[in-house]
Amino acid sequence: MRKKKGIGNGIILVIIGIYLLFPLLLTFLYSLFTEWITILPEGFSLRAYVELFQDSYFWQSIGRSIVISIVPIAICTVAVLLAMYVVVVYLPGLDKIMRTICTIPYAIQGVILPISVLGLYANAPEPFSNRVFMLVCTYCIVVLPYIYQGVRNNLNAVHAPRLLEAAQMLGAGRFYAFWKIILPNIASGVMVSAMLALSIVFGDFVIINTLAGNYFPTGQMYLYAAMRQSGQQASAVIVVLFVVTLLISLGVFGLQKDKKKER
Amino acid sequence: MSYIEFKNINKFYGDNQVLKDISLNVEKGQFVTLLGPSGCGKSTLLRCLSGLEDISSGQIIMDGKDITDLEPKDRNIGMVFQHYSLFPNMTVEENIAFGLKMKKKPKDEIARKVKQAMEMVELTGKEKQYPDNLSGGQQQRVALARSIVQEPKVLLLDEPLSAIDAKLRKSLQNSIKQVHKELGLTSIFVTHDQDEAMVMSDTIHLFHEGKIEQSSDPITMYTSPVSKFAAAFIGNYNILTEQEFEQMTGRRISSPEGIAIRPETLQISDGKTPEAEYVFEGVITDNTPKGNVLQYHVDVNGIRVKVDVLFRSKVLFEDGTRIRISVADHNCIRL
Amino acid sequence: MKKKQTKKYLFALLPFLLLVGLFEIVPVISIVIRSFMPQGGGIGVTLENYTRIFTTKLYQSAIVNSLFIAVCSSVIGLAVAFFGAKAAYEKGGRAKKIFMSILNMVSNFSGVPLAFAYIIMLGNTGVFTLIGQKLGIGFLAEFPLYSVVGLMITYIYFQLPLSALLLIPAFESIKKEWKDAVGLLGGTNRIFWFKVGLPVLMPSILGTFSTMFANAISAYATAYALVMNNLSILPIRISEQFVGDVVQNPQLGGALAVVLMLLMVLSIVINEKILQGNRRKHHA
Repeated sequence: MRKKKGIGNGIILVIIGIYLLFPLLLTFLYSLFTEWITILPEGFSLRAYVELFQDSYFWQSIGRSIVISIVPIAICTVAVLLAMYVVVVYLPGLDKIMRTICTIPYAIQGVILPISVLGLYANAPEPFSNRVFMLVCTYCIVVLPYIYQGVRNNLNAVHAPRLLEAAQMLGAGRFYAFWKIILPNIASGVMVSAMLALSIVFGDFVIINTLAGNYFPTGQMYLYAAMRQSGQQASAVIVVLFVVTLLISLGVFGLQKDKKKER
Repeated sequence: MSYIEFKNINKFYGDNQVLKDISLNVEKGQFVTLLGPSGCGKSTLLRCLSGLEDISSGQIIMDGKDITDLEPKDRNIGMVFQHYSLFPNMTVEENIAFGLKMKKKPKDEIARKVKQAMEMVELTGKEKQYPDNLSGGQQQRVALARSIVQEPKVLLLDEPLSAIDAKLRKSLQNSIKQVHKELGLTSIFVTHDQDEAMVMSDTIHLFHEGKIEQSSDPITMYTSPVSKFAAAFIGNYNILTEQEFEQMTGRRISSPEGIAIRPETLQISDGKTPEAEYVFEGVITDNTPKGNVLQYHVDVNGIRVKVDVLFRSKVLFEDGTRIRISVADHNCIRL
Repeated sequence: MKKKQTKKYLFALLPFLLLVGLFEIVPVISIVIRSFMPQGGGIGVTLENYTRIFTTKLYQSAIVNSLFIAVCSSVIGLAVAFFGAKAAYEKGGRAKKIFMSILNMVSNFSGVPLAFAYIIMLGNTGVFTLIGQKLGIGFLAEFPLYSVVGLMITYIYFQLPLSALLLIPAFESIKKEWKDAVGLLGGTNRIFWFKVGLPVLMPSILGTFSTMFANAISAYATAYALVMNNLSILPIRISEQFVGDVVQNPQLGGALAVVLMLLMVLSIVINEKILQGNRRKHHA
């Protein structure tokens, strides 16, 4: 009886797995054939990839995507760490407010945040009306919940207040204790959440399209344009973007593994 | 003048007063224990001395200097925490050397002192290990070494044994005593375990609801509790009201706060040894073996009392046996 | 000396406060204020934007469509994810690991790429559409991808991995011993799930639902890539008031955004209320 049930569960998992993987595989196949007007595709060709890799505009888009993913996350991480330094070391009572502020972005996800920012700053003086500046700061808010949660969880995991007290009793100042003792202990964990945030920004379309689609075309914008020209081309772009995202995720996985080994 | 003086310490958390006008002196080289149930303020007082908590009012003097407003790092106090609080990214050696590095001591001096400290807490050979690979007992030894290596003016121990397995606890307890003896280090130890307090201390301060209930050496604390609370917390006493005492013995003692009698001072008559002042009879209802002591629960005229005897076969009684008990007047403590 | 210490450390809060103030708090407040301002940008307080939303068919249908898509895709996604997570939990071992890897991988596959994949599967010349035409399967041949239902079905694709990834850890909190205990007391598998399993999972299920709902009702990229502005859903109606070809009306857009925010907050609040109610019942 037990065995029977195992098979039933296996079937459920396989069906869901196929359902989830099919669109991916189809997109991949689509990028390899020039024609697909009957049931089976015809005209195997790597042309789409060759053209794509020769297009310097594509590489620039990918480059922009990477830059616009890393910069806001770096800024946000530093800002959160600085704030958490004050909260953990001096004003633990502020933690509740901090948590609330850092969860608000969940309630304004999607289109609300970018249109709010755009509405407020479109006609404001420089640098606020600068679209790239807007974009960077908006992404900072988008990744805020993930960065905060990452920092908070890791601070809890190392029992930051206890370490802080121990360090002080051994003659370290509070500043030294936080940045030289606690930070190294949470760094790899914070890195994991930063990488997760990276894949979120990398896959963003709504914010870039609302705020700076024409000013700062990223990989997603390139894809959107390609979609309207050639199906094969677009599917090749998707495959490349997806591979980059996977590499980021693998990086996260690697970091997590490292961290476990350390323990 | 004492080495450490707490003068009229008050401490509030909001409206909640956790320390109520505490004054307490600690002499140099003493091993002092702050004992009491959780929430009695003993840990808070320790943390006020360390500087990790501010006091609401009062003054703390150490070695002739007012340290009330000093930062923890400037007090030169060593502290061992309940949860070890070792730095997980540093090896055992690095953990122990940390305080000396903060003081910018020369490298060879650090190496020498770290080695000494490791020997003292019996950790030689674990230098390069990370804390997570050590047992709780070993981690606490590292924490102990980390504190003593800086040669602090006083060593604070905040429930250092509570998180440790019962089996390892004894051996760590010995190490702490050993360290205190060898270094002559003034030590203040916080615990809720009265047995631990008895074994370790020169002086015990019993805390109750933010006040010191009784201060004395362990033996006095055990034999002469000053209050109902002290008797109940320390000695597993039989505590009786005047009426209950009269109902039991047929005689009256004047002591409005009640009368405390230790279970081992109640003697079961064997017809040979002379009987003490108060004599009465009761029926054994139950017994509990406690290591080398056997505790009988005895019903005397409806009053239940505990009677301890040494675990020897010749004094074993069945439940339901009627026995004769006597107790000396000086063992009936007026509270 | 501690008493003399200046509060220099407060400067460390500055970057965070600036960032959050200028790009989270102030923009959101401004959009709320804007929603009460008259159209065209005059000064004054008015409810005309809201009355317009609730009296104009276009915006009414946007709200209805958005709610329909969010609720249906969440319910269906959650139901499938529940059985998927249960299967993964019961199967365990390598199968679970592989399943979770797939979930993690495809959770990155949303927005424009997802829309594209569905177009080549079920669009006008999609593979399934062709197969449907060849084999005479009407449902596939005339699959309504560019409609509200089509959009809803597309959304299920990204809702499923999201909820499964949230539910699997919740299943882990069910101890095998509980099942053994129910078994020893003579209960069947079904009794275990209804009396123990589901009640334990309930908070996670509700929490997952509210996350999914917020995720779906605010989703923009997939819909935009699939149907552009041709389908009336809230995010698209909001965005076109600020960018794009139609005549812009940021006051109305603000009011629409407030409605969307309220819907999301409402789903969170309802979820909390249900959980609180449950807890109180347990205590009583």
